[in-house]
Amino acid sequence: MKSRTAWRWNPVRGEYEAGEPAPRQGTGEISAIDAFSNKTMLLLGGTGFVGKVLLAMVLDRFAELKHLIVQVRRKKNSSGEQRFYSEVLRSAPLRPIVAKMGGESAVRQKVQVVEGDLDQPLCGISAETLEQLKGRVDIVVNLAGVVDFDPPVNESVEPNVYGTRHLIDLVRQLNARLVHVSTAYVTGTKDGRISEDTPIDGYFPRRGERHNERFSVAEELIWYERFVKETYESKATNPRPVRERLREGGLKRADYWGWTNTYTYTKSMGEQLIAQASGLTYAIVRPAIVESSLRFPFPGWNEGFTTSAPLVLMGGEGVKGWPVRKDGPLEIIPVDLVAAGILIITAAVLCGKHKSVYHLASADENPIMLPRLVAFLGMNSRYKHKRKKSGNRLANVWKAYVETQVITVESLQVRRARLHRGLDVIHAVLTLGKTIFGASKVGPYLKSLRDTRRQIRTQEVTLDKFLPFMFHNSFIFETRNIREAARMLTSKDLERLQWDPESIDWADYWVNIHTKGIETWIRPVFASKRTGA
Amino acid sequence: MNKAAFYDLDGTLLSCNLVTMHAYYARNDRSILRSAYQFTKVLLSVPVYFGLDLYSRALFNRFSFKAYRGMHRDRLIGLADDLFEVTLKPSIFPLAQELIDTTRDLGYRNVLVTGTLDFHIRPIALHFGIDEVICNRLEFKNHIASGKVLPPLLAENQKAKSIKEYAAEENIDLAQSCAFSDSSADVPMLSAVGHPVATNPTRRLRRIALENDWPILELRETSTKFPPFLSAVKAH
Repeated sequence: MKSRTAWRWNPVRGEYEAGEPAPRQGTGEISAIDAFSNKTMLLLGGTGFVGKVLLAMVLDRFAELKHLIVQVRRKKNSSGEQRFYSEVLRSAPLRPIVAKMGGESAVRQKVQVVEGDLDQPLCGISAETLEQLKGRVDIVVNLAGVVDFDPPVNESVEPNVYGTRHLIDLVRQLNARLVHVSTAYVTGTKDGRISEDTPIDGYFPRRGERHNERFSVAEELIWYERFVKETYESKATNPRPVRERLREGGLKRADYWGWTNTYTYTKSMGEQLIAQASGLTYAIVRPAIVESSLRFPFPGWNEGFTTSAPLVLMGGEGVKGWPVRKDGPLEIIPVDLVAAGILIITAAVLCGKHKSVYHLASADENPIMLPRLVAFLGMNSRYKHKRKKSGNRLANVWKAYVETQVITVESLQVRRARLHRGLDVIHAVLTLGKTIFGASKVGPYLKSLRDTRRQIRTQEVTLDKFLPFMFHNSFIFETRNIREAARMLTSKDLERLQWDPESIDWADYWVNIHTKGIETWIRPVFASKRTGA
Repeated sequence: MNKAAFYDLDGTLLSCNLVTMHAYYARNDRSILRSAYQFTKVLLSVPVYFGLDLYSRALFNRFSFKAYRGMHRDRLIGLADDLFEVTLKPSIFPLAQELIDTTRDLGYRNVLVTGTLDFHIRPIALHFGIDEVICNRLEFKNHIASGKVLPPLLAENQKAKSIKEYAAEENIDLAQSCAFSDSSADVPMLSAVGHPVATNPTRRLRRIALENDWPILELRETSTKFPPFLSAVKAH
């Protein structure tokens, strides 16, 4: 909907301002259009949430690019090429772009698909393909990796650490430059403004507390190999599942050094390997929490399951108490701004005018404070539960009309304990009822109670995963480098690539774009997972 | 040149009542106690609304916007969909959608020109499939509504001025365009286009329409016939 007005919203001041925004003008020190002209880009991780949007943006905005080589992993019986043409190109963000380009045949002229896997040496690219690519590839953009917060440690180390080692070898063989996408949360358990200038190699978040210790990826990998070996060897003597122990081991190790989870711990190690690699021309891109698209390819596109989606879905289910910092922002950034940011950085790397680290985040210029988001979750629950036909009517009224609250972690623990005590009492009464009235009469109630407990447990686990980002720490990632890079572009580049988190109207974004995007694109997938479809 | 169909909203496509809208916000305040307090305030203000509407429309408007004073913009945007479902959707006139579809099919660009506020308009425009709106906006200070409207207040002559500016910018031929409104306050807007239509007209507008030989349309009645210049698609 286009609204004609002489007023524009200033999200930071919280008021309308008169007049049109000044046209974006760059200094023209670098030109993205010239940088991409006649160049070949190798993209790893083009099948993921950010990858698809980046792929769509490159195809849509930079016809000047000579070739785009996309590495796709084989899956069971589908080759990389089959997956690219049947899954990726037919996905919602790519469909309109492919149609605009003139169909699949036009894409085939521009794109070459190569099969590979980050876990394998040289990222699984065959010797024959590698020979073909040598001397042709100018830039490698890597978005591949495992983004689960707390998988078994080996499932995170293999792609995120060893995979990065393979990536460095590949980039060296190709004699290309590297843009590596990591995460802003490699900073770990810290508070306040996070600089882009902190040295990468040897970094660990608890340096302030542990002056006498040093962090080295090589030594860490020795610990890792030994830990995995011992865990598997003790399989016969330890009754606990190996996967569970590997998961715990990763989390404990991450916590020891001060990282929030296994994901940020392994991503930081990957970054450190790149920083150690001599003679490598690289830039590390650190997005914050990547969320639904703001504009491109259309507002609300979302496929990210490790974003705020689980929280939005929980809010929609009627969760009322939210443990968040009253004075803290949630560092979110729309996926299309991330894609544009990566392309701006890629242009800077190609022109040799880049920095080592770029944060892609919003709170530095235009923070969205957590209590506002909690209020939005409540309003969404109100809307949904007023119209809900299924479930307990009284519960629906309560979920519709009782507002969400900002609470502390201590208060959350008290509420949880109270809830579980209540459920225990109900369980005891039902069990007694079962012995008196029989399983046929009371059984369905017991099953319903079990389902409710499972749902509550899932919600608790999900919430706990997000506590480091909402309650325990409060981050503001400095974004000076990306703003400088965007300022260096030409005005024509800026028509194609927009980096403007300062102008996001968060209320409109959260209510009309993001929440609706999650309901459209994520909820059906979650629902089908739950029913096992 | 392009042509456009300009629509007024309240009384033309639906019948939204300001008191029920304010009552909605009162009922949906952050706590039950606050809701009860706000709802009592709305109830007490009903006679004032009634009296002001009889005395002066401009004063009535100013007073109705004052009711938003102190409200957070997040809440106004966050509750807009629910408010639409609860208070606005049920009051849409039976033939409103058909009329909008007809003008679109005939190649008119549909534009809502209304004094209603932007956050209320969004779900309405999406519901009707209207892409462009010209509407009022509240003034906010640090996200909190001040109770004033940003200038220019879209009403009466300002609506005609706005559609003329719009036509100039978008290369719209006003002589080929049409406008729909229920109120005599919109006579300047209706007079600015080649095909004005008095839609569910008030008594005063009906008289003006008859004097000027403007077609009269009743969207509240399902048996009504569209004016001849819209009949091609209707017949089809």
